[in-house]
Amino acid sequence: MIQLHNVFLSYQNDVTALSNINLNVAKGEFVFLTGISGAGKSTLLKLLYGALKPSRGQILIDGENIIRLPASQIPFLRRKVGVVFQDFKLLPNRTVLENVALTLEVLGWGKKDIGKKVYHVLKQMGLEHKINSTPLRLSGGEQQRVALARALVNDPKIILADEPTGNLDEESREQILGILKGANIRGSTVVVASHDKKLIGNCHRRVITLDKGHIVEGSDAAK
Amino acid sequence: MPPSKPQKRPKLSREGFGGQLNYFLSRAVTNIRQNLFVNVLTIGTISLAILIVSLLLLVFVNLERVTDQWSERVQVTAYFDNELTPQELHTLKSKILSLNGTGKLEYVTKAVALQRFQARMKGQDALLEGVTADILPASLEIQLKKENRTGDSLKAYVDRLAKIQGIAEIQYGDDWVRRFNKFMDFMRVVGISLGCFLLLAVVFIVANTIKLTIYSRKEELELLSLVGATRCFIKMPFLIEGIIQGAAGSILAIAMLSSLYLGFLHNAGNFISFNPGEADLVFLPLSHLSGVFCGGILLGFMGSLTSLKRFINF
Repeated sequence: MIQLHNVFLSYQNDVTALSNINLNVAKGEFVFLTGISGAGKSTLLKLLYGALKPSRGQILIDGENIIRLPASQIPFLRRKVGVVFQDFKLLPNRTVLENVALTLEVLGWGKKDIGKKVYHVLKQMGLEHKINSTPLRLSGGEQQRVALARALVNDPKIILADEPTGNLDEESREQILGILKGANIRGSTVVVASHDKKLIGNCHRRVITLDKGHIVEGSDAAK
Repeated sequence: MPPSKPQKRPKLSREGFGGQLNYFLSRAVTNIRQNLFVNVLTIGTISLAILIVSLLLLVFVNLERVTDQWSERVQVTAYFDNELTPQELHTLKSKILSLNGTGKLEYVTKAVALQRFQARMKGQDALLEGVTADILPASLEIQLKKENRTGDSLKAYVDRLAKIQGIAEIQYGDDWVRRFNKFMDFMRVVGISLGCFLLLAVVFIVANTIKLTIYSRKEELELLSLVGATRCFIKMPFLIEGIIQGAAGSILAIAMLSSLYLGFLHNAGNFISFNPGEADLVFLPLSHLSGVFCGGILLGFMGSLTSLKRFINF
């Protein structure tokens, strides 16, 4: 599902962010991307959803070489990929319903269908009673679940989560991890960037370790 | 695995041009409601900017009107040695009327000339002693069409008139016309320079206000691109918002201009004594008001379009 071949990324001031990355994540796999701050986890995720282009190398997502994709096709790549961030990136002046509905509005869904689907997803997350609240009235854990609902509502092939449990308490972490595992069971390939060793240790999934822009461990898919 | 084609948008309930437009319109209206403060700020800025331009326009429309009235004073007088017979007058009138640029004609007989002279010299009877109709020439006063009242076209007209036989002398106040033309040229240069400067300032202020408005919603733009929105999908509601802001701003400006006009300006001519004809200032004609309205819409649209370019770079 995700393949990176000899990927390098340098910034204009010759700072190398990623160096010789070779990675293979199989369809339906759940992997952790770990490493200390500045190791290149977030940068690697940005390459996978087309926010950055590598200086060298090839990236295949769902069989498609995204390096060759013209800018106008990037939105269609992103419709296959759900992205979750540590800071949730919710729109504060919109309700939970409107935040989650964004993904489906982009796809051209009608208002009624959006209402039904969003309610269904929020119910899975245990947030159906907060449907008309604005994000500022929710706890951190609830906000992250809304962000997850927005990422999962169109059943993406790939879910990329950048430190999704970074600012959350123990209980919320378990809930978020449970939701990600559920999505993985339903068929999505999940990549979680985290430096939370406890979380990673409890999960027993493949761990890819990055250090100073290099993969130092776990680059091959589990057989 | 063969490369998959880009996903097509599924056929769902919001299909077709009408459905899309309806969605973008409702999205734009919702956005305005949700970001009321910044939108009110933008509409206020646009309306003030358009009000300033409209006021300048109002001044120019009235100045144009005044100069039109002044230019009506430009007339050519053809003098004759003797009183014309009705037959001669008829022939001469048809020759002059056939000249391109001739407006109204008025024949002034020697007797009428004397009456006018006496009226002008009223109270100075000593000067009128010995003045009879015989010593005053008969004349034909020629009013010119608007486009022939100035510069070279007036000179050309007089040259053509001089070729008609029977005319003894032609006067057209060429010195006054020259000064009037210079004044008009100066006013035009001042007007155009001031207008351009003001327009640039207005475009700059409005574009920056809209840019700030869009900047305050940078997160929303980022998020939309993150969930797979195309450039068009992201831009359309913002552009419609720009059009709504421009339209609302120009309507507000026209309303403020109307209030100013009705409250203070309509009789301003009474104390600004530059108007030799009617004292009252006129309001902007419908064509100018339509121009102001369309200009406002264009301003909002272009402001949004240029600002969006900065934030949408995929």
